[in-house]
Amino acid sequence: MAAIPILGKIVDVQSRPQKLWTQSLSWVLFLVGIFTYTQFSIARHKENPEDRVVPSSAQLLQGLKASFLEPAEEDDALDPSAGITQRLAHSMLWKDTVSSSRRFFIAIALLVPAILLGLHMAVFPYAEALFLRFGLFFDKIVALSLLPILFIVFGIDEWSKIMLMVIGVGPTMMLDTYNIAKAVPREQVVKAFTLKSSNADVAYRVILKQIMPQVINGLRLNLKPLALFLFAGEMIVSTDGLAYRIGIMRRHMGMDIIIPYLLWVAVLLFGVDALLKFANRRLHPWF
Amino acid sequence: MAKSGILKRWADKYGIVIKVQRFDYAASLDAFVGKNIDACTMTNMEALDMPAAAGVDSTALIIGDYSNGNDAILARNNLTLAQLPGKRIMLVQKTVSEYLLERAMDLNGLGTQIPQLRLMNTSDSDLVGAFLGNKSNQIAVTWKPLVSQIVNSDQSVKSLFDSSKIPAEILDLLVVRTDVLKRSDGSGIRFAKAISGAWYETVAQLAGAGSASDQAIAGSAAASGDSVVSYREQLRTTYLYSTAKSAAEFSEGPAIKQKMDLVRQFCFRHQLLGQNIASVNDVAILYPDGTVQGKSDRVRLRIDSSYMRMAEKGRL
Repeated sequence: MAAIPILGKIVDVQSRPQKLWTQSLSWVLFLVGIFTYTQFSIARHKENPEDRVVPSSAQLLQGLKASFLEPAEEDDALDPSAGITQRLAHSMLWKDTVSSSRRFFIAIALLVPAILLGLHMAVFPYAEALFLRFGLFFDKIVALSLLPILFIVFGIDEWSKIMLMVIGVGPTMMLDTYNIAKAVPREQVVKAFTLKSSNADVAYRVILKQIMPQVINGLRLNLKPLALFLFAGEMIVSTDGLAYRIGIMRRHMGMDIIIPYLLWVAVLLFGVDALLKFANRRLHPWF
Repeated sequence: MAKSGILKRWADKYGIVIKVQRFDYAASLDAFVGKNIDACTMTNMEALDMPAAAGVDSTALIIGDYSNGNDAILARNNLTLAQLPGKRIMLVQKTVSEYLLERAMDLNGLGTQIPQLRLMNTSDSDLVGAFLGNKSNQIAVTWKPLVSQIVNSDQSVKSLFDSSKIPAEILDLLVVRTDVLKRSDGSGIRFAKAISGAWYETVAQLAGAGSASDQAIAGSAAASGDSVVSYREQLRTTYLYSTAKSAAEFSEGPAIKQKMDLVRQFCFRHQLLGQNIASVNDVAILYPDGTVQGKSDRVRLRIDSSYMRMAEKGRL
């Protein structure tokens, strides 16, 4: 290995690359992606200047402009004298983001009871006996297959989409919390009782408090399934939302809108994840 | 057509191989625009807003049929068209369903109220279940066999308007990429001839009488995953151009231009031709008599009657 020093370094577990190296290497794949896309797009546009499958940068810019600055097609046109903030506030992208985010955050709020249920199952044996077996069974049900039932029970408006997310991710969060809480050493519980803790103290102040960071990390991993269920719901029946727009645009190859939307969704998810990570570090510096 | 051996026979006659690939409808259009397939069946509306609007020059070789009642506006509680604004309407947006709805409003003098319609985009796979599952869903616009499924399971649902009132506006076409037809070795033209020959042989069987027709219908129903009864029901509300002559005459007549104009204006109004298309004339249509609807240097969809005429005269 020593004959080829650089190769030796790459496979060296204990190598300490310089900051410049680590920084630049982390951007390489992004550049490769952008480069490949551009080449592909240029090649397709050479053959067909109006190609819409792999939009060129000019087409993408136009799509970006339409999504960020112009109202959705079903809304009223905006006064041409409107300022930039007003344009952003009435834009197609903003409208869709607001309605999708609302569904997303209501669903996250509804996951809190699932988390608490998981905690109680781990702490109180009677709750465990009642819920665990059913929870394990329910977790294995593919939520999407319940959609026709959800439509009947919750209607085709907001709630069927929100419940799809909750039913899809809730049981996983519950079982995850249950497993984390179960892993708390029994000695701590005994110790707490010897220090005159009540049952509630043990559940909420000893166990819940110390598993919180892990539960939040679990939620972070579940952001993507949540988004997946949201998209599935919005694509099947809706009047607005990010996935609604993507579904509509797909009908006529509006890739110039779809690609900015995909990137925007990625940015939003990244943002929520970063926010949770930040909150976790702030709330639980000891973790 | 593929299973019965008709297509194989015609392909052999012209010394080519034709591979039939089954897709979901939307996916087939994606593949056609992506140039992964050479020919595809689609409605006149999608021919305009998918390949033509994406700059893929396309030629409609065959006008197969038009929807003559296959698409319908369904409503509960004896609603009338005038009562639709403000109520939620379930449909697959930006398809012939939305076109049908707007035409219905227009023809009944309600055109100004179109912006007040509250559309709910609903996937065709879930539309029947979602509509029937809840009585508060009052209106749906869809196509057969979904229309029949809804009407048969709930007698209180009535059809307010259907495509038999807008004849020859929702056309089904067989579309081939123009660059395929222009292949220098002539294989594209042989392909077009073979497929036209096979088409009219099959259609003659479908439209004919006796056991050959029954067999053809049973085969087609099975191929589309439908029952024979339901398939026959659909054929009743489909105007089939059963002879090459009738299709060719329609494609060369004045009516098609007027119908296509309605469709292209709809596509443009709904931005289906793309963000960067500034005028409806930027996606132009060439007709068999040489007239162009739109800018003559931007012809993207060609209606070609020559293969239908060849089929008519038995020259294939």
